[in-house]
Amino acid sequence: MRDPDGVPSALVVRGLTKTYAGGFTAIDGLDLTIPAGSLFGLLGPNGAGKTTLIGAICNLVRPTAGEVKVFGHDADTREARAGVGLAEQDINVDRFLTIRQVLTYHGGYFGLGRREAARRADEALELFGLTAKAGMTAPELSGGMQRRLVLARALLNRPRLLILDEPTAGVDVDLRAEIWNLMRTLNDAGTTILLTTHYLEEAEALCDEIALIRAGHIVDRGTSAALREQYAAASIADLYQRVLAPVAS
Amino acid sequence: MSSVLLHPDDVVEEFRAERAPFAWLLEREVLRYLRIWRYSLVGPVLSTVLFVIVFGNVLASHVDGLGAFSYGQFIVPGLVVQAVVNVGYFNGTTSLYEARRDRYLHCVLASPLRWWEIQAALAIAAILRGILVSIAVLAVAVPLTGVGVARPGFLVAAAIGVLVVAAQFGIIAGAVASSLDHVYSIESLVLLPFGFLGGIFYPVTELPAGWRVVSELNPFFWLVQAGRTGFLGSADVPGWSSLLVVWIVALGLSAWSAAIFARGRRLKA
Repeated sequence: MRDPDGVPSALVVRGLTKTYAGGFTAIDGLDLTIPAGSLFGLLGPNGAGKTTLIGAICNLVRPTAGEVKVFGHDADTREARAGVGLAEQDINVDRFLTIRQVLTYHGGYFGLGRREAARRADEALELFGLTAKAGMTAPELSGGMQRRLVLARALLNRPRLLILDEPTAGVDVDLRAEIWNLMRTLNDAGTTILLTTHYLEEAEALCDEIALIRAGHIVDRGTSAALREQYAAASIADLYQRVLAPVAS
Repeated sequence: MSSVLLHPDDVVEEFRAERAPFAWLLEREVLRYLRIWRYSLVGPVLSTVLFVIVFGNVLASHVDGLGAFSYGQFIVPGLVVQAVVNVGYFNGTTSLYEARRDRYLHCVLASPLRWWEIQAALAIAAILRGILVSIAVLAVAVPLTGVGVARPGFLVAAAIGVLVVAAQFGIIAGAVASSLDHVYSIESLVLLPFGFLGGIFYPVTELPAGWRVVSELNPFFWLVQAGRTGFLGSADVPGWSSLLVVWIVALGLSAWSAAIFARGRRLKA
């Protein structure tokens, strides 16, 4: 599928279903298209299927049925994976390596040469204020520093589709502002961003379109203003209560 | 903010690597155990060398009846095999199990690395660690016991097979273990008894008939016999049979390991 300007959509999900071994269906026939260049928010309660969807896009979850395409490539191809950057909700960093090595090797997994991987790693350290910590391992960093490292790592391959799974959960106000600024800068430069968040004002402030996900289905999608108008909601928080909370509770 | 990292890369129609992602992952795997060299290399070498010194040197003078070989020469091949298997097991479990548990395996799975490149990098890293440990053990054991290599070609074929068995066993254990309890249970309930009943310290020809059958059902026994044939020229079973069993086990475990990575079971949700 292509956007109106002929560019392949950043993400096309068709009929995606994931039933886990225990029989729980996290996603059930989900359809979703995200245009290239957008900053797209995915809003839903815990257990709605957000992380499973992200896992299916990034080759971390084995879909039961359906298809996922990233910029026109099947999600399980090298071409698709080369274009995606992922910052997961949890801090999942190789604890055997220094943080400079974490970044360098991550660039290497995406096919960078030695010099380019080292250059980008140093640039990422500088960009996220981690240069002074370059020789430390991740467990030696504070929670905020670890969050910076996970975000820095997601940018090493200069992704065209950046997936941020609750990137501001548990961070202080300053870092949250930095992350917001980072998202806006990346999006202005042409990076498509898929953001999941529990902070409703974050979705409203940053995203040019929001999808509401509940029990493995996309319930609705649109701009913040359009959704509020459609559901006669005064705010996104009000919208969340009306559309998503009944099942969540 | 101004950085190349803030701009998306060009459209990729066909993935091309400046340096193979496989080479990066292999390098990372080797770097991992070199960083913890006291545990990963010195530990297994020291414990094996102590076996050689205590059993092969001190106690050897009280043991006879092994034909042309001293007791020290008799046990060295089995001890080297045991060291290789232990190292392979702990390499696979510490590398793959911990990558699964701490979820940094996701970085590898989400990258352009292909499943067989991931499997090969893990296996080759474990094989290299096994070679390093073997060389270090032999550097001490050969001068201490005077053990030599009677059949070099056979030893190379057997050694490659044993290294593959050890590496793939560790990878499979690292993939299927769901807790640290599993990791250590496999060590104490499988590796240790199989090792001691594998004929490292005694010829199975001296066992009662029933125990001999038990020994021959133990895969470890065949690994030890293959190693012993390579070093000493003969063992309790014909060389061709031990080599055949070693390679059947090596190929079987490799196929099992490949299936885990190809299907993604135990690695992906």
